[in-house]
Amino acid sequence: MIHKKYSEIKSLLNEKKITSFELCSLYLKRIEENDSKIKAFLYLNKEKILQEAANSDSRRQVGKQLSEFDGIPIGIKDNICIKGERVSCGSKILENFISPYDATAITKLREKGFIFFPGLNMDEFAMGSSTENSAYQITKNPFDTTRIPGGSSGGSAAAVASSMLPIALGSDTGGSIRQPAALCGIFGLKPTYGRVSRYGLVAYASSLDQIGPFSNDPEGIADVLSVLSGADLNDSTASQEKPFAVTDLLNSDVSKLKIGIMANEGNEWSQDVKDNFHKIIDVLRSKGAQIIELDFSIHSYSIPIYYIIATAECSSNLSRFDGIRYGYRIEDPKKLEDVYVESRSKGFGDEVKRRILLGTFSLSSGYYDAYYGQAQKARVLIKRSYAEYFKQVDFILQPTSPTTAFKVGEKTKDPVQMYKADILTTSVNLAGLPAISIPAGVDKSGLPIGLQITANKFEEAKLLSFVKELSSLDECKINLPETIQ
Amino acid sequence: MEKDRLQSIANLAKLRFEESQLEGMLSDFNKIMAYVDKVKELDTKSVTEEEIYEWSENRVRPDILGQSMTRDEISKIAPKFENGYIVVPRVIET
Repeated sequence: MIHKKYSEIKSLLNEKKITSFELCSLYLKRIEENDSKIKAFLYLNKEKILQEAANSDSRRQVGKQLSEFDGIPIGIKDNICIKGERVSCGSKILENFISPYDATAITKLREKGFIFFPGLNMDEFAMGSSTENSAYQITKNPFDTTRIPGGSSGGSAAAVASSMLPIALGSDTGGSIRQPAALCGIFGLKPTYGRVSRYGLVAYASSLDQIGPFSNDPEGIADVLSVLSGADLNDSTASQEKPFAVTDLLNSDVSKLKIGIMANEGNEWSQDVKDNFHKIIDVLRSKGAQIIELDFSIHSYSIPIYYIIATAECSSNLSRFDGIRYGYRIEDPKKLEDVYVESRSKGFGDEVKRRILLGTFSLSSGYYDAYYGQAQKARVLIKRSYAEYFKQVDFILQPTSPTTAFKVGEKTKDPVQMYKADILTTSVNLAGLPAISIPAGVDKSGLPIGLQITANKFEEAKLLSFVKELSSLDECKINLPETIQ
Repeated sequence: MEKDRLQSIANLAKLRFEESQLEGMLSDFNKIMAYVDKVKELDTKSVTEEEIYEWSENRVRPDILGQSMTRDEISKIAPKFENGYIVVPRVIET
């Protein structure tokens, strides 16, 4: 049962062939048996989950289900606020923080009857590409537990890939949904900036952050997005565009599509990633799609631009952690300054401190114009490049990650090498576009390869229609591991 | 970047590093700066301020009285809370 796809599970629930209680019990059993090897969950409140599932079953029994999703389990990354649950952001500074409110995304899912499995591990404050920056534990890749699952939403991706859940929420600031989805062989969508309210998502870089879904099939992505999308009075950046609806999905005629690919591929791509990518492009070409090469040279600047903008915003956003109103405070501070400095110095991990320092520097007097100001302007050049591309093509296809999952510890000593893991994903956030990573076969060691498809702003319906076609290709098939070694 | 300069950035960010940590941070910081310095190469003269902010629109919600967090809720998340107030160390020296 737990190895079934999201859409099958949803049907079985709606046909009353399984109850939510039975379903959640099976997932909890799977978690109990395997999470000591994966370490996706920071905590698990079994009783609460089963109580919610039983409540859902009672509703369904009397025909009062809240929606077709009532009783479906969904994992929640540890930076999305759920009232009454711990939200630590993978950080010691929020170790004992219990959220007093629901994020808008959570309110919307709650109204439809989803059952929350919170506490999915992440890089501290979503800063990382491997989930090794969590202050609590390192999540492992279900395909090979000596390797990382990607990050920062590594817990969410690993939980879905190891069939501990069918769907989960993550957040994506520079690739934090797409890259772990790619390395774990599942689907992960970063919606258009503003598509989903950020209210209640603990802020890392507010002009880049978006909440989005992971799923083991494209239907799960479309369903969750349809629930999450829409304007919100609590987030002025949440868009007034017509919300995405599953009924917007159409049949995608591949023969009429124009597909953009990078004219200048990076030498960072591993041979298997490269071969696999070209195999898929060849299939699309043989089906009549027009393949157009695009000049991506400006995108070699995307990681430097991203790190200046994201860290500037993080230094500002994380200034709220001062040890006064909530979060960790050192024992017996002698003076007020100690509360700030010592609480932050003990509460934050090294990567968070590195990024706060970089952001503080690029915003500081005398350096602002050369770094933050210049990066803001350079961001416009990236946006302009995409505007030009989408005059010529319907979608842009790239590998999501230049390599498959790397070994635990392989890149922790060198922050710049770690940052380069996001070389193909950060531009999308800078331009605020929607992009998805879908499974696209495996490398010679059996590790998943991800394919990133980027669409124009608010074109999720067109994007997901294409994904449905694309994911049915043999070249894109991946079997998720049934046994976790 | 010299050690003194990094130290003053740390002060601005309300972070403190032990002498031993500072070396490692400085080395990482310089490596990252060498990489991000690349943005300076880009010719951005054609970009106007308006273009940077073209996506932002000022939208405000209706000015309707609502319920904010209660004192009880705040007491549950504050590190130290007594008699309805968040407690901080003595600020004025006696």
